[in-house]
Amino acid sequence: MKKITFILTVFVFMAGIAQSQDEKTTLGFKPSSYYTFSWNTTFTMGDFNKWVGNASPAGFDFGGRYNLQGGLVAGFNISWQRISQSYGYQTAYFTDGSAITATNYRFTWMVPFQGVIGYHFIPAKMVSPYVSLGIGGDYMEHHVLIQEFDIYNTRWDFSLTPEVGALIKFGYFSQWGALVAFNYKWTTNKIDFENYNWTSKNLQMLNLKVGLTYILR
Amino acid sequence: MKTKLFMIIALGILAVTACTKYPPASGRLTEDLVIYTKYDVGVNFYNYHTFAIVPKITYINGKDSSYLTDANAIALLNRISSDMIGRGFVKVDSTQNPDLAINVTAIKTTNTTVYYPGWYWGYPAYYSPGWWGYPGYNYYYPYYPTYITSYSSGTVIIDLADFKYPTADKKVMIRWNAYIRALLTGNHSQSEILQSVDQAFNQTPSLKTTPEPLAK
Repeated sequence: MKKITFILTVFVFMAGIAQSQDEKTTLGFKPSSYYTFSWNTTFTMGDFNKWVGNASPAGFDFGGRYNLQGGLVAGFNISWQRISQSYGYQTAYFTDGSAITATNYRFTWMVPFQGVIGYHFIPAKMVSPYVSLGIGGDYMEHHVLIQEFDIYNTRWDFSLTPEVGALIKFGYFSQWGALVAFNYKWTTNKIDFENYNWTSKNLQMLNLKVGLTYILR
Repeated sequence: MKTKLFMIIALGILAVTACTKYPPASGRLTEDLVIYTKYDVGVNFYNYHTFAIVPKITYINGKDSSYLTDANAIALLNRISSDMIGRGFVKVDSTQNPDLAINVTAIKTTNTTVYYPGWYWGYPAYYSPGWWGYPGYNYYYPYYPTYITSYSSGTVIIDLADFKYPTADKKVMIRWNAYIRALLTGNHSQSEILQSVDQAFNQTPSLKTTPEPLAK
């Protein structure tokens, strides 16, 4: 995972630097705003990774950015994401004398919403790398499915998401482009199942976003 | 333009697929076997030494009840007996005043939508306390039994009734029961089903006894 982050970051910045050196001969425009719609793959970390270890491509993200000054942008992100994993037959014992053996299937469904502030290093270029910080919250549901039995927690949280990425316009003057971004997300969310004997705190994850961008001049 | 349109449509389809809360794979969980057991935490099984088991499995399909006596049914009854014997209990005939009596019921489908605890005890093919030599008695749970919303997936229920200590008001307590579910929704071999019976006993470690103390 660290390798992927490193390679992606290097790629994004090298592309931007290469373009900035060619500035005098390059055409383009600085977006006044843009909207992104991205496919989001989540890699859980720490305690969250013990809960569900699988990387999950079942997620999407919608965002908007508005230019404030120079390369400085502000905006929002709204997403939805699901991570899931089957843990095969397991036996759970309860204090009332009951026990159940069944396939255990765990999943978390989350709806993040964040305000974002970011900086584009070379906003007018075809490849425009940026860094940003998202601050907001999540609505999460953590479920354990034991056949038809569904045990779940519902939690709201506070979250921080530093991100690196790049807008890649399809042409110098194209209003359409691609988005590639990678972020780390820290939340105050927790999973707490007393009967299932499970506690995870400060859920963290990495997200890879690949999507489309619509750019306004 | 066509490429962009295709990408937008593809992303849209992926988004709709991804935004469902329950993973698509969770739907097939109903095909997997589930073994649920519950016992009376107030009882000490060391006080019981003998058991008897019904000769046939009560079979409930909708409003009808009958008996299962085929090879699979006999294998299931035999496996329950060997699990009990493996836990120190002595098998006796139903006419020999067993401490514990085992009733076994297979439920295919029912038309009922609300299930009261022990609702299947009222079927004609269920072995009542009268069949065990206690006419006028009724079965009871000393604990709150599991709530089951549907029996359409195929379920075997094993009830362990206490005939050693029937109450003065003619109640025969169920001290342990097991539900083995999803026998019909998945493709399960006889071996898997018999292993599920073993698992039902394994997940109740307190269900065991010691040999009868020798008389002085």
